[in-house]
Amino acid sequence: MDKVMSTVAAVVFVIVGSALLFVGANKLFDLATRRWSAFCTLVGAGSMFSVFGLLWGNRLIEQPVAVTATALVLGGLTGYVLSIISSGTLRLYVGTVSGVLLGTLLGVFLKQEYRPVNEVLVLILLIGFSLAVGLLIWHRKGRRTSVVRPLLLWATIGWIIGVFFYPQIGPGSLAWTVIAAAITGAGLGAWVGMFPQPDLAMKRDISLGSRKYIFLTPALGFILLTLVIPLIRTIWMSFLTGLPKELVWTGLSNYKYMVTDPNIIDFSDWREIFTSRLFFVGVGVLVIGLIVARISGRRTGDRLDLNGGSLAAFSVALMMFGLAFFTVVRGTISNNLWWIFVVTIFSTGAGLAMAVLTDRSKGERVAKSLIFMPMSVSFVGAGIIWKFMFVARPPVKNQTGVLNSLWVLIGELSNSATAVTVIVVILFLMLIGLLYLAFRGYSAGVTTVTAGSLIASLPFMWLIYRFLGHDLGGFIIHNGEVFSNPILFLTESPFNNLWMMIVLIWIETGFAMVILSAAIKGVSSDLLEAASIDGATESQRFWNITVPQIAPTIGVVVTTLIVVVLKVFDIPKVMTNGNFDTQVLANEMWQRAFTELNFGLGSALATVIFLGVLPVMWRNIRRIQEQRAST
Amino acid sequence: MMTAKQGKLHIGISETRTLTGRVARFLGAVPTWILWFFVVVWTIPTFGLFVNSFRSKDAQRNSGWWMAWQDGANDYGGMTFENYADVLGASATGGLANGLLNSMAIAVVATVIPIAIAAFAAYAFAWIDFRGRNSLFIITVSLLAVPSQVSLIPLLQMFSGGAHFTLPIIAKTVTVFPDFDLAGTIPAVWLTHTGFALPFAIFLLHNYISGLPRELLESARIDGADHFTIFRKLIVPLSIPVLAAFTIFQFLWTWNDYLIALTMIGGNREMLPATVVIASLAGEFGRVEHLLTAGAFVITVVPLVVFFALQRFFIRGITAGSVKG
Repeated sequence: MDKVMSTVAAVVFVIVGSALLFVGANKLFDLATRRWSAFCTLVGAGSMFSVFGLLWGNRLIEQPVAVTATALVLGGLTGYVLSIISSGTLRLYVGTVSGVLLGTLLGVFLKQEYRPVNEVLVLILLIGFSLAVGLLIWHRKGRRTSVVRPLLLWATIGWIIGVFFYPQIGPGSLAWTVIAAAITGAGLGAWVGMFPQPDLAMKRDISLGSRKYIFLTPALGFILLTLVIPLIRTIWMSFLTGLPKELVWTGLSNYKYMVTDPNIIDFSDWREIFTSRLFFVGVGVLVIGLIVARISGRRTGDRLDLNGGSLAAFSVALMMFGLAFFTVVRGTISNNLWWIFVVTIFSTGAGLAMAVLTDRSKGERVAKSLIFMPMSVSFVGAGIIWKFMFVARPPVKNQTGVLNSLWVLIGELSNSATAVTVIVVILFLMLIGLLYLAFRGYSAGVTTVTAGSLIASLPFMWLIYRFLGHDLGGFIIHNGEVFSNPILFLTESPFNNLWMMIVLIWIETGFAMVILSAAIKGVSSDLLEAASIDGATESQRFWNITVPQIAPTIGVVVTTLIVVVLKVFDIPKVMTNGNFDTQVLANEMWQRAFTELNFGLGSALATVIFLGVLPVMWRNIRRIQEQRAST
Repeated sequence: MMTAKQGKLHIGISETRTLTGRVARFLGAVPTWILWFFVVVWTIPTFGLFVNSFRSKDAQRNSGWWMAWQDGANDYGGMTFENYADVLGASATGGLANGLLNSMAIAVVATVIPIAIAAFAAYAFAWIDFRGRNSLFIITVSLLAVPSQVSLIPLLQMFSGGAHFTLPIIAKTVTVFPDFDLAGTIPAVWLTHTGFALPFAIFLLHNYISGLPRELLESARIDGADHFTIFRKLIVPLSIPVLAAFTIFQFLWTWNDYLIALTMIGGNREMLPATVVIASLAGEFGRVEHLLTAGAFVITVVPLVVFFALQRFFIRGITAGSVKG
């Protein structure tokens, strides 16, 4: 209960505190036009509070509470006095005196170990240099104002660097520290005092001009602190090696390590790509696709006709070649590319299919919600959900995962003569049906149907072949007894990678579906109607009107998915933690950086992920620029 | 629309022959079957987890969830809430209840703060004129695809030791961010989430806020309203739909987040959110898998409720935010 209360208190404190900060800043600058004295008092007090508070936070001053409080009061008082007097000389005096007082306060209470040493020569040089800079800037700005005030500011900046930042810190004397701080205060105080008392228009400018800072600073500050600076630092650290506190520059060594370590990328067996079964299947399907494209091309007068059928064949061939490549070329980077290859293609393809299927069909909303639902589940939750789908129990026990139960069931069926007969007959009838469809399609001239049913008939032929051979499904015969033989989905390399990708496909298909569905609904119905009046079939309308029109949206979906998949972390982490050859870049990066504390290599891996995202960022920038140009 | 650019894709208007009769009707019904087949396949994993979470340890280990209706007959004891009681209680797991509390603390603050900050910035980018506004906006928004991995190491260093910048040549170290000893605490997660949410949030809110009618804002300005008043009285009420979409997106993002909490809180078990607690349970799958069903369902049920209750905003937010890094 205590924990609940303290958590609630912390949450409320942070939210209310931030709100008050923002509202307070706005109210403060509202005062500039209405109650100038109050505004000046608060600004004086506030700026002194931030300066001394910063010193306090960095543990630079003795007696921090009392010193900060004194500075706050002094600052507020100065602000108030400056707001009511308008004589130029008097303002200058007030500013200078209170600057000296505040500076002395700092000098006296600065911790002994931070007292600077006096280095006159460098000091004079620095002041001269910064005066020159100030003069140059004043000149470039068109000499509109008096030269005294900017020069005073620049001289003070030179003085600050010369007394506090350049010299050795520590063995300096108290007297010099007080003088150094007092002159700093005098310079800044005089600079403030030299501002003339503003008239109403100027006050309005202050009130209005402050708003952009008030509205933007929180956001830009956060972005700078958590995104921009860390990004630059990560890139820089990728060239360093060593323990976290003793990193030294070693150039490209982390990147060299990456390309030579077989765990990260291993090309050594590349010849096996061309001898693998997947490759041969790919070649076979590619040939079928080419034949289909050629035959239907003869009808349309093209050399090769790209329609649903031939495209399906080409995609299957591409998938087979990809699998042949990624099952042979191993390693983290290869795994990551494999993830990108499979998840992007399948999620986009399935999403497009769902979008088309749900479009104008009964129960569209229910179907869409159920397919989109995994998108709301966390990756951790999804990983666990699918761990139960993939679970493999020992052979003597019941299989409790859906997939292995089905697999074992198929094994049991293919091991019983009657079941095989029944199944083969059913499959055979379906095969005949498909071939009939292909024939009807051919004689009606709808090549898509022909090609589609021919390609769909291939798995049926394969199933019949395997069932007749009694070797499909999960079973082993031991001493005449049949045991179940589950697939070890998560531990058997290299296909365990593929099974884990299913989880992400399961999630991302809903995303692709929603985006593409919106695009499909946006396709001009006039055009579709016109084509249908001219006698175009549904599939012709889809391939020749819908697809070209939603192509840009498909591009958006693909790039988005690439970014998502490139960073995939939770799913491998929860399901295998990168074991059994399933390592991916994000998990490799995490392990190297946070369990081995190898910040250099971790940063290099993070940089690789960043480089992968860079083209997408570029695209985004271009899109935004176009968007803004058009409005 | 149909141009030569599409190459081999062409309108096949010359092909007037089509399939007819029963074959056509059969083909027409196929898509619906396929659709509902997919819907069932898509739903089975979650449904199975849900059913299993109510089954006893023995039941889960000895038969699949589809056998749940036989649990009573098999002496597995039928429906039970035991798994939920066990996984939420502190004893077995390090306390999922504690994790849920932490998740809630993380998600609430990491949703409210970014949305407020982003709304300010989006308003400034849309309606306050200043020099360099366009390029600043583009730089800000271009950061929205930056993957969080690139920030993790420096941020953790900053939270555990402060950020120090050593000036070149004079070799002086300046502390930019003092060492507040934030590593292992929830505020570290807040700060990280806030920073990472902002580019996307600004992008989303700016798209909406900049599209509000100019006349409305101008007449308010003529009436003497300043930026703060306009923001409070006009912009916020008018932007409720987009604020809702982003709130839902960000709440679920932070609720479902695993990477940032794991990195920033790390070994401090008391402060871990539910996702990390559950993921570490998954690491000992064999021993606690019966608790895992209930645990996974508990962390999933919050997003599911939000999803089914607020689907319209949800889909808008999620789809817009998918490019986020």
